[in-house]
Amino acid sequence: MPTFNSNQLIDDLQQQTESFLNEAVRHWQMLPPAIMLHKEAPEKWSAAQCLMHLNSYGGYYLPAIATAVDGALNKRWLSTTNFKSSWFGNFFTELMLPKDAAGTVKKMKAPKNRTPLLNDNSDAAIATFIDQQERTLQLLEKARCIDLRKAKTAISISKLIKLPVGDTFRFLIAHNYRHVLQARRAILLITDKSNTILTPR
Amino acid sequence: MNVIATLAQLQKITYAFHSLPGEVWEAFAVGWQPYSAKRKTIITAAGDTEKYLYFVAEGVQRAFYLTEEKEATLVFSYPYSFSGVLDSFLLQKPSNYYLEALTQSHFLRTTYAHVDALMRQYHEFETFIRKALSVTIAGVLERQIELQCFSAEEKFRTLLKRSPHVLQLIPHKYLASYLGLDATTFSKLLGSVRL
Repeated sequence: MPTFNSNQLIDDLQQQTESFLNEAVRHWQMLPPAIMLHKEAPEKWSAAQCLMHLNSYGGYYLPAIATAVDGALNKRWLSTTNFKSSWFGNFFTELMLPKDAAGTVKKMKAPKNRTPLLNDNSDAAIATFIDQQERTLQLLEKARCIDLRKAKTAISISKLIKLPVGDTFRFLIAHNYRHVLQARRAILLITDKSNTILTPR
Repeated sequence: MNVIATLAQLQKITYAFHSLPGEVWEAFAVGWQPYSAKRKTIITAAGDTEKYLYFVAEGVQRAFYLTEEKEATLVFSYPYSFSGVLDSFLLQKPSNYYLEALTQSHFLRTTYAHVDALMRQYHEFETFIRKALSVTIAGVLERQIELQCFSAEEKFRTLLKRSPHVLQLIPHKYLASYLGLDATTFSKLLGSVRL
């Protein structure tokens, strides 16, 4: 399993999260809802739905990570120079990551409870997304003090499978990346097509 | 951050309030040290006494007041301007509110001891501080009027007129909080200025 320098891993994950935040603040929150809510086909997700899907996972994982980090601090499981990924953690992270530079991903079906049913209020979806990314940055910073391998969270689909918190971060942020790319594609499809469809609200 | 270039900006901003004699400027300029803060880190916490006066080279910061139920954004700072918890700094009393970085931020900062010594030593420096504070107080009172008397739309338009760049720089929840608007009202107003 891959081994990371703990601080370097956190730096990298923070930098990725920074880039999601920059895109959301500079670009997405300025787009009219008509673009953020555009669905290329009924079964395709709008950019806002990609964010709602991420927000749903963030709603589970961020409190779980916060509890794990606090627990580790209380038990004095202090930081180690290196973090060794677990088999499961690495498997799930790799599963999320694009396979090539073009951003090709292994297609999967989202669990029912993580599939956005509604497609409205893109502003609320963006605001929650920004909130969660800010929270992620803060948790990453706090996690510099702890042992990323000993502290653990359960995964969202099974209480039985626990990931070291270092892998929970890697998985969560790889999953964010996957759907940030998808949101970007959804936006490009509609903005490339024409600017005339857009009606001011 | 380029320290020399930032010091040149500091001089420009300082002199816009009051031109200092060369000797006084040099005494002021030697006190500044570089400092950085990552996004969403607290620069000064409520209960702490502000030790520093900041000059922003990069990034956005906000001061906010926090209770159990509510959080109110009081003020933003961005390049090139002064930052820090000003009342706590000047009075050397614990701050009632927080100062945090909203993006990765770079500053120059100097200490209360340095500023205080210069105020005692140089009348011209004290004049600069007086003039800078006069402008600050005028700004605070003007904002008080906006908060109490302006409609949501007037507040929104005033913000855009004064600082149009903040819409793409700051998460909108903080701008809404600064204006005392809820998220839905802010979204509606934003709709009128989006493409």
